[in-house]
Amino acid sequence: MALRSQHVHDGGVVERRLRPVYDWLDNGYNKKALQEAEKVLKKSPSLQAARALKALALYRLGRAQEAGAVLDALVEEKPSDDTTLQAMTMSFRESQQLHKVCTIYENAVKIDTTNEELHSHLFMSYVRVGDFRSQQRAAMAIYKFAPKNPYYFWAVMSIVLQAKETEDTTKRNILLTLAQRMIDNFISENRMEAEQEARLYIMILELQEKWEDIIKFIESPLYGQLIPGSISQACIPYLKKLGRWKKVNILCKELLYDNLDRWDYYMPYFDSVFHLMKENSNEENIDDTAEKCHEFICQLVESMSSGRTLRGPYLARLELWKRLSVEGDPTALLGSALALCVQYLRVFASKPCAVPDLKVYLAMIPQEEREANCRDFLTCLGFDENSEPETMDDIQRHISCLTAWRLTAPRPGTTDALQLAATLRRHYLRSLEKNMIKYSTTEFCSADSYAILAAHHYFYAATEQKSSKPILEALCLLELVLLYSPANYHVKLLLVQLYHLLGNALAADSIYRRLELKHIQLVSLGWLHTARADAACVPTRALQLLADLRAFHTHHAKDQSIEHMTYAYKFGTFEKVVEPPAPPAPLHAAHTDNRDLNIIVNWEPPELQDPDLRSRTFDQDMAYLRLTDALLSSVTLCTELAENKPIEEKMQHYEQLRTCVDTFSEAMEKCTEKYCVYEKITISGPFPSRIIGFVSSPVPYRELYSITLRMIGELSMNNTDKVHELCDQVVAIILISSKLIVQEIRYGAEDNGWSMRDRLESLSNYLQSIGVLTYLLGVCYEMITPTNTKKSKKKANRSVDQMQTIKLIDNINVTLQQAIASLEELMDLWPDYDFSVDLEEELTRMNINPTAPSPVENKLKLGLDKIIEDIQNILKRKTAYLKGLILNTNT
Amino acid sequence: MTTLRPFTCEDMLRFNNVNLDPLTETYGLSFYTQYLAHWPEYFQVVESPSGEIMGYIMGKAEGHGENWHGHVTALTVSPDYRRLGLAATLMNLLEEVSEKKKAYLVDLFVRVSNKVAINMYKNLGYIVYRTVLEYYSGDPDEDAYDMRKACSRDINKQSVIPLSHPVRTEDVD
Repeated sequence: MALRSQHVHDGGVVERRLRPVYDWLDNGYNKKALQEAEKVLKKSPSLQAARALKALALYRLGRAQEAGAVLDALVEEKPSDDTTLQAMTMSFRESQQLHKVCTIYENAVKIDTTNEELHSHLFMSYVRVGDFRSQQRAAMAIYKFAPKNPYYFWAVMSIVLQAKETEDTTKRNILLTLAQRMIDNFISENRMEAEQEARLYIMILELQEKWEDIIKFIESPLYGQLIPGSISQACIPYLKKLGRWKKVNILCKELLYDNLDRWDYYMPYFDSVFHLMKENSNEENIDDTAEKCHEFICQLVESMSSGRTLRGPYLARLELWKRLSVEGDPTALLGSALALCVQYLRVFASKPCAVPDLKVYLAMIPQEEREANCRDFLTCLGFDENSEPETMDDIQRHISCLTAWRLTAPRPGTTDALQLAATLRRHYLRSLEKNMIKYSTTEFCSADSYAILAAHHYFYAATEQKSSKPILEALCLLELVLLYSPANYHVKLLLVQLYHLLGNALAADSIYRRLELKHIQLVSLGWLHTARADAACVPTRALQLLADLRAFHTHHAKDQSIEHMTYAYKFGTFEKVVEPPAPPAPLHAAHTDNRDLNIIVNWEPPELQDPDLRSRTFDQDMAYLRLTDALLSSVTLCTELAENKPIEEKMQHYEQLRTCVDTFSEAMEKCTEKYCVYEKITISGPFPSRIIGFVSSPVPYRELYSITLRMIGELSMNNTDKVHELCDQVVAIILISSKLIVQEIRYGAEDNGWSMRDRLESLSNYLQSIGVLTYLLGVCYEMITPTNTKKSKKKANRSVDQMQTIKLIDNINVTLQQAIASLEELMDLWPDYDFSVDLEEELTRMNINPTAPSPVENKLKLGLDKIIEDIQNILKRKTAYLKGLILNTNT
Repeated sequence: MTTLRPFTCEDMLRFNNVNLDPLTETYGLSFYTQYLAHWPEYFQVVESPSGEIMGYIMGKAEGHGENWHGHVTALTVSPDYRRLGLAATLMNLLEEVSEKKKAYLVDLFVRVSNKVAINMYKNLGYIVYRTVLEYYSGDPDEDAYDMRKACSRDINKQSVIPLSHPVRTEDVD
């Protein structure tokens, strides 16, 4: 948060002299800010504002203790000028000492008793620490000398929060009654003047479940003056609470006559019908039977003027079918669900939303009936898969029919999928040839969907065959579409997904960049690329991507965490005070799933949808993170154990390390049982979590890590015998791992493109172990050559045991170097993609000359070359580092 | 087919299908939270029956005296849900809120190249009040139309008499 805006009113000399300090601070030059503040303090050493800023600069420089001393002294002096207080507030906020902000403003208002500004800062300081009682007192204190509405309502809101907090029902009721009475008084004096004040009143009545009173208030003229929107609509939730279904029924019907397309009116209407069905009231103007409900929907359909057909009434009929089918068969009344769905498609096929609308309802047609009649969807407008529509509108219709057909048909076998993909591709190319692809920066071109649907079918065939060729066809086609339709993000998302499927994160990156994701999108769509980069063996790019994401989180944490509450008070938007503090909460809580997994469209039939995918992959990713976390904590403890300290002082860390390694080892064992599963790959979601490959790898990572870590623990305690025993084990397990990784990576060599992703993922897990082991060996050498003897390593006097230890550690080192060397050999022989596609032929045959050649082959090749080169460089650096560590010259 | 409801913070995690549109800007988090905190009634979503976000509007009320007006900060509809009249639904809502707030007018800025949007606003009763030079930064910068529609409070429609000369960005308040 910038400091600048907060001191604008504080003009004059002080302001001018402090301006450079603010500038440096705002731009993150804390050292310069400190120097500048010191300069000001040389002239006027007691200037409080300068000292407060100095403290802030010190704090940001990591010199918390010095900052604390300056601040403590300032607190004692009880400053009351806003500039100083604001700067102190910043320091306290950043150092999480929010209660101290309360103290400084409590002191300040004692000095400057009627300063509105200071009082409201005091109020906000209580908001930050969640002290509702003090909030109430502070708000009323301001209101006494500055009787403005917001202050009054701050007090009311503070009472409401106390009521919500307490578990004592009597206290809660008293507080809510008080809050309500405060507003009642205000209303009777005609002083309520803002929408949010009215909403707060409703909130208080809601908390007391006074539904009748809420309806009365909504129907009063005051409400109408303050809150936009329909009065009837506002009443509906409360009428539902009261079970006044007849009223709901009548109101919704009135609303629907004027708003045929409002789903939020249909929903309560249906609720009312289904409740009234049970009551059998049999009143004329009330819809209490399925027949009357259907009759009403038919009226709505008929009431539409011919020019403008709305989806509402048609979808309402489907919804009625769906609701009736829960307890019976609605076919007699409404006809078959299949017929209704087909009818819907026939009417709305020209709109891109037709099939997305229908998707939910297709699932209600029994699978057998659906599959038997799937071609009805294709042919209902006279098209079939080979039709060649001539207008843009007809292309959209054709596409809707094709898509609905694919959603209802059984999943095709490989041959059918490939054949259909080829047909769909031809449709796209034909549209291109006939110049029916209209370039626009904002609109999608209808015909793009032919290509997208084709890509999906190439994908089906590829996963059936475990073959990369269909994916290559899909990639080439989609890259071609992107040439002519650069705005189509569906195409970009699929490309990212499919490049990753072939293990090429750098090719995926070329498209990912074009999505231009920013801010919150980095979080919700992080799964698509950022989260995969490390497992895809592109560490350099992974670091950049993760740094961007981290920058977002850090910035957000600094800027937003508590301040959204103070904003809500400032603007009097009381609903936001009680609303779950959503923006920071889901982002800060590490255990919340923030992924947007609906962004890639899935055209698989309902029975192939995987409703547990979200929770399952989240659980798997969390499990992997926990493993990595335990591993990282162990490594950190090893680093701490390498400090040159007496053994007694290291005991605690040693014990912690043992616990940590046990935790890792046990967790790894559990995960091996739990996650050793086969996961299907879906086109629209995350690929199988990294943990699966990690725990089911033939390389014994659990033993590799835990034995090495244990050895270091014992080394730090000088338990020579144990060290020597463990060293031999480490060497043995490195040798085994080195052999097994070659097997793991060579496995499944039939199709190099298809195996690429798995191979690179296996490699990334192995590379991680090489990295960790190399680092840990560095730690070992640190332990066996304390700093004072390091420079003269040959001259040092060492015992036989020590000599033996050095020999053994050197031996691990040499073994690890050998393992790296054998990995380097593997890298030299790393297989290429077998690139062959038939799109080129098709283009030539159709006489289409794309404006640019297909980039796919090149992207894949260059991407892979770069990946391998990066890994080779990493391995070279590790070897060089390890060579430099060797102590025993005889080795 | 629409559910109209207030925008919530969680919507920010789900609005990608709308925001991946190249002309829809994704702002920093605090931009959205400030609008949510300050003008929640002006920040509304249209949602499909299946729960997908189809589009949203973000606006605010500002200005003094006879310049007290509703402003459209962002209005966007997912490419898959265009030509369904959703933008008009959202604009009506914003106008209604502005009426309640006793605003004199509603205004908005639009790229001069965005013919589709300009036509839509014209159909909704907006006029081009003035051209703002180089309002959108880019390569090259692009001019904006400041489009306006008078509210009922502006009885003589004083606020919608077009200016004859364009203005520069720095002169726009």
